[in-house]
Amino acid sequence: MSQPLEFRPEAEDAVSDEGEALRFMRPHFGEEKFPWIQIWGYIGSLVLTFAALIMVVDHVLPPLALLSVILALAVGQAALQLGVFMHLRESRGLAWQIIFLGMVLLMAVGMVGMSIWIMTFKSGVS
Amino acid sequence: MSLPVEDEKIIQHVPAEFSDEKESIKITGFWMFLVTDVLIFASLFSSYAVFKNQVAQGPSASQLFTLGPVILETLLLLTSSFTIGLAIYAMRKENKRALMFWLILTLLLGAGFVTAEVHDFVTFVSAGATWHKSAFLSGFYILVGTHGAHVTFGIIWAATLLFQVARRGLTAVTTRKLFTFSLYWHFLDIVWIFIFTFVYLNGKIV
Amino acid sequence: MPSFVMYLVHTLFPHDVLRPTELGADVMIIATGVIIFYVLTKQKKWLYLWREWLTTVDHKKIGIMYLIAALAMLFRGGVDALMLRTNLALPSTPVIDALEYNQVFTTHGTIMIFFMAMPFIFALFNVAVPLMIGARDVAFPRINAMSFWLFAFGALLLNISFVIGGSPDAGWTAYPPYTGPMFNPGPGENYFFLSLLIAGIGTTMTGINFLVTVLRMRAPGMTLMKMPMFIWSALTTSALIIFAFPPLTVALAMSLFDRIFGSSFFTLGHGGLAMMYVNLFWLFGHPEVYIVVLPVFGIFSEVVATFSQKALFGYSVMVISIVSIMVLAYGTWVHHFFTMGAGPGVNAFFGLSTMLIAIPTGVKIFNWIFTMWGGRIQMTVAMLYQMAFIPTFVIGGATGILLATVPADYQLHNTYFLIAHFHNVLIGGTLFGLLSGLYYWWPKMFGHKLDERQGKWAFWLFFWGFWITFGPQYLLGLKGMTRRIYTYPAGFGWHTLNVISTLGAFVMGAAFVILVYNIIYSLQHGEKDLTGDPWNGRTLEWAIPSPAPEYNFARIPVVHERDAWWDMKQKGQTLAAMRPEDMRTLELPKNTPIPFLLGFAFFVVGFGMTFEWWYIVALGAIGVVATLIYSGFDYDEHKHIAAEEVLEIEAGLGRVQG
Repeated sequence: MSQPLEFRPEAEDAVSDEGEALRFMRPHFGEEKFPWIQIWGYIGSLVLTFAALIMVVDHVLPPLALLSVILALAVGQAALQLGVFMHLRESRGLAWQIIFLGMVLLMAVGMVGMSIWIMTFKSGVS
Repeated sequence: MSLPVEDEKIIQHVPAEFSDEKESIKITGFWMFLVTDVLIFASLFSSYAVFKNQVAQGPSASQLFTLGPVILETLLLLTSSFTIGLAIYAMRKENKRALMFWLILTLLLGAGFVTAEVHDFVTFVSAGATWHKSAFLSGFYILVGTHGAHVTFGIIWAATLLFQVARRGLTAVTTRKLFTFSLYWHFLDIVWIFIFTFVYLNGKIV
Repeated sequence: MPSFVMYLVHTLFPHDVLRPTELGADVMIIATGVIIFYVLTKQKKWLYLWREWLTTVDHKKIGIMYLIAALAMLFRGGVDALMLRTNLALPSTPVIDALEYNQVFTTHGTIMIFFMAMPFIFALFNVAVPLMIGARDVAFPRINAMSFWLFAFGALLLNISFVIGGSPDAGWTAYPPYTGPMFNPGPGENYFFLSLLIAGIGTTMTGINFLVTVLRMRAPGMTLMKMPMFIWSALTTSALIIFAFPPLTVALAMSLFDRIFGSSFFTLGHGGLAMMYVNLFWLFGHPEVYIVVLPVFGIFSEVVATFSQKALFGYSVMVISIVSIMVLAYGTWVHHFFTMGAGPGVNAFFGLSTMLIAIPTGVKIFNWIFTMWGGRIQMTVAMLYQMAFIPTFVIGGATGILLATVPADYQLHNTYFLIAHFHNVLIGGTLFGLLSGLYYWWPKMFGHKLDERQGKWAFWLFFWGFWITFGPQYLLGLKGMTRRIYTYPAGFGWHTLNVISTLGAFVMGAAFVILVYNIIYSLQHGEKDLTGDPWNGRTLEWAIPSPAPEYNFARIPVVHERDAWWDMKQKGQTLAAMRPEDMRTLELPKNTPIPFLLGFAFFVVGFGMTFEWWYIVALGAIGVVATLIYSGFDYDEHKHIAAEEVLEIEAGLGRVQG
């Protein structure tokens, strides 16, 4: 006779245990008494936006350097929105969005950069 | 397999939108949708970057753009991102009235943004800068237009959510829907910041 | 009024859909439609069809519908292929004219990639993935049904093009400026772009769905490194889909806007850059190659382990290589257009990155061989395809490395060498793998095996037919025969090889006929699978009855080892001896007409936009919005199966103790 099988009391709820390698995706929930973090986030987003604006209007740097700096500010703004408002680390089980957003960031940058590089062919001699 | 004990503790008092396993899976799914949407915009940004100097007989970026309306649009969208953040905060405090208030405010700010953008587009087109004119203009309109269409869709979506919350209150399902909407809205805010930087400000760097 | 009717007739039936082949097809379509209508009405099956299939959200049924669609499309694409080969058999004796030839190779490529390979893969995903990870359904059952109906109506839109309005004729890649309104008026290319856009939305949703299913729905204990290889392939394929389809969507939409809304993305004038389309298209197109081949790597990993009765050799290396293939697949797209004239830096980079992919692929090949080493190999049809795949795919891969060498590519680009290469990997890899999976999982889908003897006939004909067709094409390519020519003069030395190639194509046609006969024969006479485990399998789908009950698992088992079901069998455990007190009330997704209606509304939008009939577009768009809003307000997503009912079903299957 075959052995009876083992079932977890609530086996339906599949939460995975992936060990230390994926520790960075363990979920984390924030708890707040007053929405200070949202308010600081809002102020931060305004500061980042106007910093970029002022730098461009005043032409504080040569063009390429200026573009790099304002793009860096935009990336900072994205990080701020993700961290403050989008509750990036919240999930049941592992917060899989973290790794996929990381991958897609690399791909988006790669896509834009490589496309510009590939399509420069019309200006050069080849 | 369960998580380590300290993580299980966190699971014990998760917010309502994570309280139901099946509903929480939809949040993961929505993140993955956002991943595809990031790449939609990345493709549009690549096209814009490549088309940027293909102005043909049309106006160039620095000739076309005026920063005034764009700053207004940016302010409206950043503020709406703040208000939807407060809406989710209120939702987690189970304060339905405050939630509805912030959500409606978000919608109004979004509508203001769309109006300003449409006005902007109409101004450009009436000055002769149609997307037929040059590849640069085509790339510009499709990038900014896709974002605008996303915002418009978001407004309609949130309006239907308002009815659902009013009727059903804050359940595992309605909170999950509101939470995914907030993710969508913040995501559009991020995209707009990149448009603001890479299209409008970049157009003013000569 | 008569002028309106005349306009309608001229638009819907221009002269190029009134050729004998098209009229013949019209007659066949109408006849088939009448027969189906008659049979359904006679058997009173309309309601059954609606209730059990058109509104279903059950992943197993959706998988079967995908499979039927894929086989139908394999037929259509195969007939196209035979028309092409017939035209090229002899020099200067075209059977169909140049325009029709262009249309046929366009639909052949489009259908085989988007409407045969993709749905076939999704069929196997739907059937196997939830069962293998011990889940009751996919993560989003309703979205799964939406994906299917968007795919199905997209496929329908492309398929009606050749009898209504005219087919696209710009190849499956649809490069501008030829697809622009100036050079390509008429609805053909509109059909192409719209059908791929609609099907593409569905495919993206499928990608998200299976990604989340694998990430969040696994049985307790099934950690990432305990997942079957097929699940790894489903995970990486889904990730590829969600990363690859957005650029395609953008490229198609831009081309469509150039055609009907007068934008200037890829036009010749107004600063348009046609090569930007090519760049975006292959940003999708190269990952797409891996989207159709990675699942097959997964299928073969299961098949080889099962029929060698050994655990897969080098599991963790297999995982590393499949993930690195996934990552590398994004960095190689320029090798499809080396001849564009990008600088040596660009070409060198992408040539090298292409060659890099050979390393993880080679690792996988060796691991399959080592899995067989020392195993007790059973020569089933599924295993035969696996064994034919290894040498065929290696040769296809090796010619790919030749093409990745940039100077050689300047010679070989757009010759029959290229045609032979990609058919080598797509037939020798994808099709062989899908057929292997078909034979392997057929018992799980339908509760009986496919006849092995007939299956072996079909296999050998496919295998030799493939080599007779495409072996000569390598030589033709080296002799300078370019692709997409509808005829050629005598005296180029292409004659003999083309005759042989065409013969091979008909051998493969015969193989398809035997395959279909095999399926129909086995429905009646196939060996019944009473245990649920006909192959002595290793993974969880073989632990439940064939076909699986609606809820898949009465209770979700706990997984301890990699080949979970094999491990349970070694320990003498079974899922077929449940105790009545183990039964629980189960929550399952409920059938809904929303996905079907959504697909239909998208079809209306697509059809209207093809002919630029804006009232029809508006009608369809209202349908889309209304369906989505209705879906948002529909909270009645689940139904429950009571514990007693589950007990009754399980007892009926003889799976309850005492």
